[in-house]
Amino acid sequence: MFEVRFHGRGGQGAVMAAQTLAEAAVIEGNYAVAFPFFGAERRGAPVLAFTRIDAKKIYSKTQVYAPDCVVVLDDSLLDTIDVVAGLKPQGTVVINSKEKPEDIDLGKEIRTASVNATSVALEILKAPITNTAILGSFAKATGIIKIESLEEAIKSRFGEKLGEKVGERNALAARTAYENTVIGKSRGIKKLEPRKQWLPTYQEMPVGGVLVEGITEAGLIGPGSFIENKVYGWATFRPVRDREKCTMCLLCWFYCPEGTIVRISDKGDLMTNYDYCKGCGVCANECPVDAIKMVRARV
Amino acid sequence: MKKVITGDHAVAIGAKLSRAEVVPAYPITPQTLIIEHIADFVNDGEMDAKFLTMESEHSVMSAATAASAAGARVFTATSSQGLAFMHEMLYATAPLRLPIVMVNANRTLGGPPGIWCEHNDSMGARDSGWLQVYVEDNQEALDMVIQSYRIAEDKRVLLPVMPCIDGFVLTHTVEPVDVPQQQDVDSFLPPYMPDITLDPAKPALFNTLMLPEYIMELRRQTAGAFESAKKVISEINDEFAKKFGRDYGGMIDTYRMEDAEVALITIGTVTSTSREVVDELRKEGEKVGIVKLRFFRPFPAEDLKRVLSGVGAIGVFDRSISYHGGGHVFNEVCSALYGITKPIINHLAGIGGRDVTKEVIIKMFDLTLKAAKGEKVKEINWHNTRGETV
Repeated sequence: MFEVRFHGRGGQGAVMAAQTLAEAAVIEGNYAVAFPFFGAERRGAPVLAFTRIDAKKIYSKTQVYAPDCVVVLDDSLLDTIDVVAGLKPQGTVVINSKEKPEDIDLGKEIRTASVNATSVALEILKAPITNTAILGSFAKATGIIKIESLEEAIKSRFGEKLGEKVGERNALAARTAYENTVIGKSRGIKKLEPRKQWLPTYQEMPVGGVLVEGITEAGLIGPGSFIENKVYGWATFRPVRDREKCTMCLLCWFYCPEGTIVRISDKGDLMTNYDYCKGCGVCANECPVDAIKMVRARV
Repeated sequence: MKKVITGDHAVAIGAKLSRAEVVPAYPITPQTLIIEHIADFVNDGEMDAKFLTMESEHSVMSAATAASAAGARVFTATSSQGLAFMHEMLYATAPLRLPIVMVNANRTLGGPPGIWCEHNDSMGARDSGWLQVYVEDNQEALDMVIQSYRIAEDKRVLLPVMPCIDGFVLTHTVEPVDVPQQQDVDSFLPPYMPDITLDPAKPALFNTLMLPEYIMELRRQTAGAFESAKKVISEINDEFAKKFGRDYGGMIDTYRMEDAEVALITIGTVTSTSREVVDELRKEGEKVGIVKLRFFRPFPAEDLKRVLSGVGAIGVFDRSISYHGGGHVFNEVCSALYGITKPIINHLAGIGGRDVTKEVIIKMFDLTLKAAKGEKVKEINWHNTRGETV
């Protein structure tokens, strides 16, 4: 059995990548399952997805804790998540990064394949959706699946949903990433502190789960605790507003799913609190006078 | 002060004496008289409560939950389809540990449509996290509204309570009821003082999304409150008995069980008729007794084991059917008495509001006595049902 864990962000297509890999494995005559784990999901939030591949029927219905391969769709996740947790010693990390494996610090020296999937996706798909590109890199790095099977699975799965052209472009993204993948060994210098979590016993849990403002070892809980959840690291793009063009219609203020656009005064000027802007682009999309441009936040 | 009143009227007076502060309401037979009486009390200035006419039972329970979270003592009543319609919100109330009291007038849950007494409505809510107590007369109905607030608001419990009264058999039947004095109720039931409420000045998060890392602990906590409730129910029963002179026994009550060879477990108003049947059978020399199941949630497993230790066979009356064969009480009794090798005979009767006559109850005892003597008796018996033989 070959087990894969995908780390991505909501909107990057980690779930679709896991499913497509399963389909490619089935095309090659294997049995495969793929499933997501959804937390409090929203666009940009860290997500997990899993694929299991075997020659025979797979009965296990639990998450993957000791993967053979970890796929990271967004290297900004490395700052907060120990992506190599549980990875088998002979396992492989496939990572979307502009860096070479030797320059990527995973806190562990481990076989690593890297590809700049974001650039590939932006170039070919015109969107930072890196799931198909990273699958190409996965095929190159693991040899578990042939690139041709992957292309077939991508065309079938994406083509069915989004049209034949989109399917073909995604297959091309996979092929391009396949050809540009660099394989080496990661660095193992940094020590990633496991994120502290507030895990009360049932006796410690506030009655009825009702939370008032409070502080625990793991940080704030209850009303106001969200202030600790800065999301600027999620953003591939960030919005920049042209004050000359802006008519103060406030549609961006209304539509922002994170509430990051602040009205400074009644007369009105707007400010984007970039600490909490995940770069989703809803504001730019809704702006009726094109006063908001999305600019690349990281390369 | 004795008053000759219906069960619905008694319940309404119970809510008034308990000083319920918010009453969201939606009418449904046979409960409507309860909220009509309360509407009158509020309108006439006898009761200082916010009476909210809602557009559905789902909204009733939403409003009740929110008002309770805001710190108010909340009362409402429903029945049958109304209870079914608020089913979703029942599940929100209990894990939030909000001590609402809602009387359910037991009625057939359609289809087919029927307005008469059956327990299938409240039995469907048995796993919603509400305590349930079934009563046998109008006095107990009134008294249990008052006691329910004490149980619900006890810091060891903090769970909603659903007193269940048999539709029409109690709701629309007048009998003498001793109405307690307000000052006595006030000294028994102090005002509700929650620790945390919905208050803009002191923000709190209620009913927020919980990840798998937390929900299991919350469920365990709620389950623990059900365990604590058993002791609290008994304590409050005793305190009430001391103050008002009426002792209902707590989780269960028994009648002539001291030397009984056979017991019938009863629920609701059939208990009342069964008392007379037991007296008659005793005159004929049959050593029979009754175990009245008062609380169905929490389920009195330990009490049943204790009082049933000496009998040779156990009859279980059910006014509801769970379609796996027997009724709900039967299932739970079998589960509670697991490992005890005595015949347990299920007696289904009164479903859809069919009258449960003395003859039917005598038949229940007869069959259970036969089982005690080692004769072969069917496990599940549909009494007074055409096409069935019992």
